[in-house]
Amino acid sequence: MPLPANSVNWAAKVLAVTGKDIISEFRTRFAVNAIVMFALVTLTVISFALGVLQPAAEIMAAMFWIILFFAAMSGLAQAFIKEEESGTALILKLSCDGIVIFFGKFLFNLLLLIVLAILIVPLFIVLLNTTAENWLLFIAGLVLGMIGLSGATTIIAAIVSKASIKGALFTVLSFPILMPLLAAVIEITKIAFIDGRFSDAAAPIQMLIAFDVVMITLSVMLFDFVWRH
Amino acid sequence: MWWKFLIYLVMTAVIVLAFITASPMNPVSSLGGPEVYRIFYFHVPQAWVATIAFLMAIFFSIRFLQTRRMDYDVKASTACRLGLLFSILATISGSIFARMTWGEFWNWSEIREVSIFVLLLIYGGYFAFRSAVSDEQTRAAFSAVLSILFGVSAVFLIFILPRIYPVFSLHPTDSIVNGRISITMSPMVAIIFGLSLVSFTALFLWIYKLSVEIFTLARYRAGER
Repeated sequence: MPLPANSVNWAAKVLAVTGKDIISEFRTRFAVNAIVMFALVTLTVISFALGVLQPAAEIMAAMFWIILFFAAMSGLAQAFIKEEESGTALILKLSCDGIVIFFGKFLFNLLLLIVLAILIVPLFIVLLNTTAENWLLFIAGLVLGMIGLSGATTIIAAIVSKASIKGALFTVLSFPILMPLLAAVIEITKIAFIDGRFSDAAAPIQMLIAFDVVMITLSVMLFDFVWRH
Repeated sequence: MWWKFLIYLVMTAVIVLAFITASPMNPVSSLGGPEVYRIFYFHVPQAWVATIAFLMAIFFSIRFLQTRRMDYDVKASTACRLGLLFSILATISGSIFARMTWGEFWNWSEIREVSIFVLLLIYGGYFAFRSAVSDEQTRAAFSAVLSILFGVSAVFLIFILPRIYPVFSLHPTDSIVNGRISITMSPMVAIIFGLSLVSFTALFLWIYKLSVEIFTLARYRAGER
């Protein structure tokens, strides 16, 4: 695994990759549109289907992550598919190390998810009449969950960009890997919704952090084999 | 050759003994009485063999990425294939076991049942991916990466998740979670269980060896190198 020669430049390179993706995203808005519209539609369907019913807070926590998960599945693969389709993948491979590309794309996906969360959380609270009793815990779970979502799916997105049925394959391959993350993060959100304290959520938080670290480390180690193929 | 007969003998002995000796557990509650627990002699070794298979797949995938030799790709994918097969068997036998002891064929709040289901999805997805890529080198390289990622997730699911959520586990927690093989197993039960474990592993290795030979020959036949 090649180490970057100059660490000061390394961070700048990563931000350059992310910046390039943000700029090209501003121009076409494919991924953002896909993610946000998907989440909005799912939220609307759930709200409409529930009608006057007011399910328990635990169920709402699970719904929140269903929306986030499927929105992520619809939009996060775009980061690499767009490279393949516009023909810029080769130039990208020639210009940077694998690790730089990985972190650049990882940060871009994370940013997409943050934008999504900023839009969806208020709508979720308004439409579905739920509030998080313990905001700090909710945000903590959200941030850790998004880091894990982005971290685990970036390498899968790179793998899928060379296969044939990209969208379905991305979801099929990502879900099982994300299962421990979903279990932990739904648990944390449930506790946050019903006003638990941080200490109640200690076990899932530890597992979430462990999952994030393991998945990102593994992805960094394996990314070069996918990218430099 | 002689070891094949040994496998035949030991496995036959295990199957016969599993049914004629005393049942392994005195149940607190079960729909079929103590007889039901005999499936334990078969269910646990299947799950054990599936885990070994997935760990072997990780090893061969790493070797493939280091050396780029196609025979490691054949070995890794065969290990995944057999791992999937034994996971399916473990799921079926577990489901029957669950119906007779806990009352339902499937229970989503049981963490190990969820884990084995996700394992099936994982390795099903692995083969879905393999069939979606036509170029051989790409397929081999990406499958290797996937099987390492999936193998680590499988470790997470099998070993770590049930220990974090022992509350959601109907499986006996003191022998699985804490690693102490239950001391209440009588010597006869321990012997039969041990023999079953060994013979299932030997059977798996035999099937594995045959499968690798078949796939390698198929590749030579097809003219690839």
